[in-house]
Amino acid sequence: MWSILGILSLAIGIILYEVPSLLTKNFKKEIWVFSILLIFGVILSIIESMNIEIPNPLEWLTIIYKPFTDFILDILQ
Amino acid sequence: MIEKVKISPHQFKLIVILVYIGSSILVIPGILASEVKQDAWISALLGILFGLLLVWLYNSLGDKFGNMTLVEYSEKILGKWIGKLISLFFVMFLFINCSTLIYIFGNFITTEILTETPIQFTNIIFIAVIIMGTRYGLETFAKASEILYPLVLVLLIMLLIFLCKDIDLKNIQPVFEYEIKHIVKGSLLYVSYSSLTLVALMMIFPAYVNNKKEAKKSFLIGTLTGGIIIFFLTFFVISVLDPNIAALNEYSTFTLAKKINVGKFLERLEAIVTLLWFITIFYKTIIYFYGIVFGLAQILKLKDYKPLTLPSGILVVIFSLIIYPNSSYANKWNSTTWVSFALTSGFFIPLLLLLVGKIRKIKNKY
Repeated sequence: MWSILGILSLAIGIILYEVPSLLTKNFKKEIWVFSILLIFGVILSIIESMNIEIPNPLEWLTIIYKPFTDFILDILQ
Repeated sequence: MIEKVKISPHQFKLIVILVYIGSSILVIPGILASEVKQDAWISALLGILFGLLLVWLYNSLGDKFGNMTLVEYSEKILGKWIGKLISLFFVMFLFINCSTLIYIFGNFITTEILTETPIQFTNIIFIAVIIMGTRYGLETFAKASEILYPLVLVLLIMLLIFLCKDIDLKNIQPVFEYEIKHIVKGSLLYVSYSSLTLVALMMIFPAYVNNKKEAKKSFLIGTLTGGIIIFFLTFFVISVLDPNIAALNEYSTFTLAKKINVGKFLERLEAIVTLLWFITIFYKTIIYFYGIVFGLAQILKLKDYKPLTLPSGILVVIFSLIIYPNSSYANKWNSTTWVSFALTSGFFIPLLLLLVGKIRKIKNKY
């Protein structure tokens, strides 16, 4: 509970810090990218703080690269 | 884009050295020792050769596209969509590696120094410093390297001088006991930590260095210097510590520093290695993080990368807590899939860009 509040207040702090200058400079695209990344970050942080498992991208990379990795290690073993 | 901030070739050279020895300075001697025990120094030498060849590849690429970063000329060479795809893959590589570096930092601190602290805290503090440095801009942390690098060098020399008396040449015998292919495997792992990771510098080189010709020389000299440093460290680790002990230790250089014992009053100078290593891993991480935010900004054609720093920082830290459930997973990944992954981004992608660029006769007039 407290960690979720903490994460949200951090997010609000970040928004208050960055967005005003972006608005005055009329950086629309930047605000969009910033917001998408921030939302993604906040959601993941909340999930992580609740100790729910987040899928690990290294697992996917391991699966995709397996044939190549095995090939290289075979030659050198 | 943002005003072209340029750094000097000398600053670039220092950054190359710091990024090269980045995480390697702490772990490579141990990794090489676990592969080929007392022949680790041979792998370290061979690795320098491979490293220089890689930098020669990066230099050739930089030659053709002097004013653009890898993300920019990727689009020019491969067309808008495939180019952006390759750039995104590249940024993903930088992202995962950055998370790895933050994990390594946090893991070291919580294992050896602040053992009661949860790793979340160390990682958050580290990324906060990285974010600050990135927002200050390339020029600033490049200038800082001119002060921090001499410090690194002095600490290294101190470390090695204090250990000279403890070298036992019997520890490197029998020489060449291991087959060439095992020594090459050791070098490959070493290269995946030090040289293939230099590709991140393609976001700065040579577009943001103010003298292209000198920049290429700096890239090579920096790699050579970094390689020599790692060679000496590896040699000292196996000759001062038993090669079998070196192989068991995750942080072999740290263990090496623990052995310092001069006249019974200079003892337990692990603080030297810790400080040294903070600086090198800081530089490696900040170059990677800068590459992520700057690269993303270029892919999406944004006017500035600074707004991306805070959200990206959050994401990088979260992933630093996800990617390695424990250190044996980390070790397995580092000696298997990581090598393929690093080869893709550090070798195959630059090679692809160079060859297709040559074939399509794409030139960048500058």
